[in-house]
Amino acid sequence: MEQNIDNAKIFGQIKEAICKVQPGIDETKIIPDAKLKEDLEIDSLSMVELALAMEDACGFLLPDEELEQINTVGDAVSLIESKLRGQNA
Amino acid sequence: MPERVVITGCGAITPLGATVEDTWQGLINGKCGIDYISLFDAQDFNVKIAAEVKGFDPLHYLDPTTAKYSDRFTQFAICASLQAIENAQLTIDDDNKYSIGILIGSGIGGLGTLTSQFAVLDKRGPARVSPYVVPMMIADNASSRVSIVTRIMGPNLSLVSSCSTGTDAIGIAYKMIKHEEIKVMVVGGADAAVTPIGVAGFSQAGALTRNPDPFTASRPFDARRDGFVIGEGSAILVLESLSYARSRGANILAEVVGYGATSDANHITQPAESGESAVKAIQLALASTGYDKVDYINAHGTSTPLNDLSETRAIKKAFGKKAYETPASSIKSMVGHMLGSAGALEAVVCCKTILEGVIPPTINYKDPDPECDLDYVPNKARLKEVNITISNSFGFGGHNSVLAISKYHE
Repeated sequence: MEQNIDNAKIFGQIKEAICKVQPGIDETKIIPDAKLKEDLEIDSLSMVELALAMEDACGFLLPDEELEQINTVGDAVSLIESKLRGQNA
Repeated sequence: MPERVVITGCGAITPLGATVEDTWQGLINGKCGIDYISLFDAQDFNVKIAAEVKGFDPLHYLDPTTAKYSDRFTQFAICASLQAIENAQLTIDDDNKYSIGILIGSGIGGLGTLTSQFAVLDKRGPARVSPYVVPMMIADNASSRVSIVTRIMGPNLSLVSSCSTGTDAIGIAYKMIKHEEIKVMVVGGADAAVTPIGVAGFSQAGALTRNPDPFTASRPFDARRDGFVIGEGSAILVLESLSYARSRGANILAEVVGYGATSDANHITQPAESGESAVKAIQLALASTGYDKVDYINAHGTSTPLNDLSETRAIKKAFGKKAYETPASSIKSMVGHMLGSAGALEAVVCCKTILEGVIPPTINYKDPDPECDLDYVPNKARLKEVNITISNSFGFGGHNSVLAISKYHE
């Protein structure tokens, strides 16, 4: 139950970060399966901006090699979730 | 046989308005676009006035993502370019996209972006600096963004020559079209340096007026002038070969008939007192038309003691006795010094002067300077048929650039 609440919260934070770097984006497109590059048109520069926004929202640094593995919104949520788990462990 | 080069579209966003027409109405009515600085807190600055573009909302012109990742000078350039292209009724399509180029200069570039990202670097470290800082800051970003927005795919260029930037951009575009390297150029300048470091820097260089009254501070050629007022904005023109303009049935506003550029080779900020190289630039611009036919000089007229004196001397040396019979006004009395966009706006004003038969005044002219004794069109616009104008631009580093613009005759 706790994990579901966290997931929703993390998704909300990611969604907010995407809206920040892509102002004017159709928010209904931001779903877990949405591909950042193809579906949300986040290019390499905006990807760095998104990483900065995610780091600001979550309060920790995200290493480049882990950011490179992110393809979808769901991947971003999973990365943050695993980081939080690691912190709590 | 070189191509004739005509102006078919103009766009502008200035301290007097968000269109050419609003700006023009302000100019011929002697309206002052200078006020207290609102873009940042200037309380601790010894200069507290500027000619800002007022109430500018980039979202009125640009999509939210383009607006977010464009510096203010680029936002101005896009806005003015879209106006100019619409004014020229120029359709950009697969048939002509490589025949149209862009050359938008900027004297300073994205100083606001650089300033805000320096603050991020200082407070939060290098890992927090935006990846957009370089593309947003570099002076050619205006041309690149306009290319992306309009799908223009010919040469995509920029130019930096201090306060001559706008005039030089038009001069280079004129030569490119004249020598048939390209059919159409979207050309002009943009700057947005009313920022803490911009104001402090120009102030420390001794270039800005210390007159605290925004409405009378810019007083070109007046005996009490003591510096310029920093301004911002953009002006863009569509230049094209006469043959291309005719082929598409374009409405021709005016013709560019000459361009001259020289360097003082003297000092990094001060103009050469002799004005010799400025005279040479005027001579080059008028090589094919001659002096006798010039009806109006759009002066650089910054309101600095040195510029206005050396410019007056140059005009007198170039024109001889005719200097006293040729009106020479400075719109910087109303829009301040728009830096890299100044010369481009002044070219637009030359077009309007030719089309409307009205010469905009030099406002705030009260006390004549015995050494500046030409007809500066003091304080009130003047009705006059104008066939040929020159526009002077001079800049830090010794740039002397002059355009000659003529009424279009078939």
